[in-house]
Amino acid sequence: MWWGAVLALGCRAVAAGPLAVVVAASNPSPKLNHDQVAAIFLGAVKTFPSGNKAVPVDQVQGSPAYVQFYGQVTEKSEAQVRAYWSRMIFTGKGSPPQENGDSAAVKKLVSSNPTLIGYIDAAAVDGSVKVVYEVK
Amino acid sequence: MHLTRRLMAALTAHALFMTAQPAKADDDGMQFSLSGFANLTVAKVLSGKQGTYQQWSCPCTIQNWEYVGVYEQSKGWQADQESLVGLQGSLRVNDSLSGTMQVLSRPHNDNYRPSVDWAYVSYALNDQWTIQVGRKRIPLYYYSDFLYIGTAYPWVRPAPDVYGWPIYAYDGANLAYSGAIDGGSWTLDANAWAGSFNTRNDAYDTKIYYTQPTDEAWRDIAGGYVTISDGVWSARAMLMTFKDQQVTHHPDGTITVNLDNDRTSIGALSLNYDGSHFIARSEFNRFQQAGTGSTYNYFLAGGGYKQGAWTGMYTLSHYTTTFNNIGSPIEGRRTQTFALRYDLNKNVALKAQYDISVDESRYDFFGNSTLMSFAIQSSF
Repeated sequence: MWWGAVLALGCRAVAAGPLAVVVAASNPSPKLNHDQVAAIFLGAVKTFPSGNKAVPVDQVQGSPAYVQFYGQVTEKSEAQVRAYWSRMIFTGKGSPPQENGDSAAVKKLVSSNPTLIGYIDAAAVDGSVKVVYEVK
Repeated sequence: MHLTRRLMAALTAHALFMTAQPAKADDDGMQFSLSGFANLTVAKVLSGKQGTYQQWSCPCTIQNWEYVGVYEQSKGWQADQESLVGLQGSLRVNDSLSGTMQVLSRPHNDNYRPSVDWAYVSYALNDQWTIQVGRKRIPLYYYSDFLYIGTAYPWVRPAPDVYGWPIYAYDGANLAYSGAIDGGSWTLDANAWAGSFNTRNDAYDTKIYYTQPTDEAWRDIAGGYVTISDGVWSARAMLMTFKDQQVTHHPDGTITVNLDNDRTSIGALSLNYDGSHFIARSEFNRFQQAGTGSTYNYFLAGGGYKQGAWTGMYTLSHYTTTFNNIGSPIEGRRTQTFALRYDLNKNVALKAQYDISVDESRYDFFGNSTLMSFAIQSSF
């Protein structure tokens, strides 16, 4: 039973379209580059280039958007991201971003707080958020 | 089997029901989180030099120095030398203040009695600087402070030729920095620490070398490291000094002072590469002790390839002591390691490893050996 459960956990489909890394429309942050986005989501940097606090939020772990985002931005698989955070957690260096559902949930949360940064389906972008990086 | 059942129960519980607690997106007050890790490691000595060393029947090989995990061919497959379960609880008071405790249970901890490996209070001075006070593992080498987080490295265990001292933690304080350099293309992770640590009748000194209860203390520890990384390359430099005190207690009540607050320094350099498929690991370290004239040189160098959930890795590691003022014989070992990792899912890694170890010591030490190891490693 245990093996069946873990195998099921390990077999998730991966399929997503272009993603947009977004902040609140009121956030003054300029466009970010690939390395800056990776550093914020891996907890190595806790501020935007402007110096303002940056708090990343994730979609659900294992979701197509999550897998695509980390695969393209950090070049890590879900297991490698998990391994990275295990190291950070158990050495007292940080903890992973909070999970906040799907694109709609992340957009709603990010749009209401200028310290937050998230990734959503590019098609879901509207005037409530500002795109700072595109994941194609 | 008792051990296996315990560990499998722990692995099952966390694999099915638990996940690490994420950082909060908003500062909404006090929060407790529980996370952990578990390693079930089963290994067997396949061949090696016949004989005995101290309490061990050889062919045999030491794979953990801190707690003295030694495999003996005469005991067949052994699961009770390196397997362990760790639990970490963190109480987040607010955005800046938190407290963390980590306990570890393993057969060598006096029959599973949990030991406190970490217990510290953390205060974030700002978004870059953090101060921590309490007990932490010494971040001596690249893997030292996460030596038992098996999911965080490609091997069953980081090379024992490099990772092996009696003292692995310190009670004190550290100041950490984490931030961007070069406009964010590179990140800088730095830490400076100070403190001390005392052991009584520690396994390393008592079981491996002196066979009588031996205490060791590292005092006036002061160290620091700097790591820079661009996400693919990472380079790390570390330097630490301390005073080493070591005393052996004899059955007649007398003592021998083996080391009398001898000033010691350890330096370490590492360079790692994490590409889309290729990975490389290297460490070059040196231990020097002023009074005794003891010097250890040790390194590991390895390369591997990742494809999907699979990672294969070849590593060469080596350590040797040099001539010294106290007449200790030269000790050394060279090991070739072939490791294979499969990520069963995001929380569980399965590993197989074959080690060929050549004892280069100029006295009758553990001897040559080949070792086959299998491990289920998880973090949750």
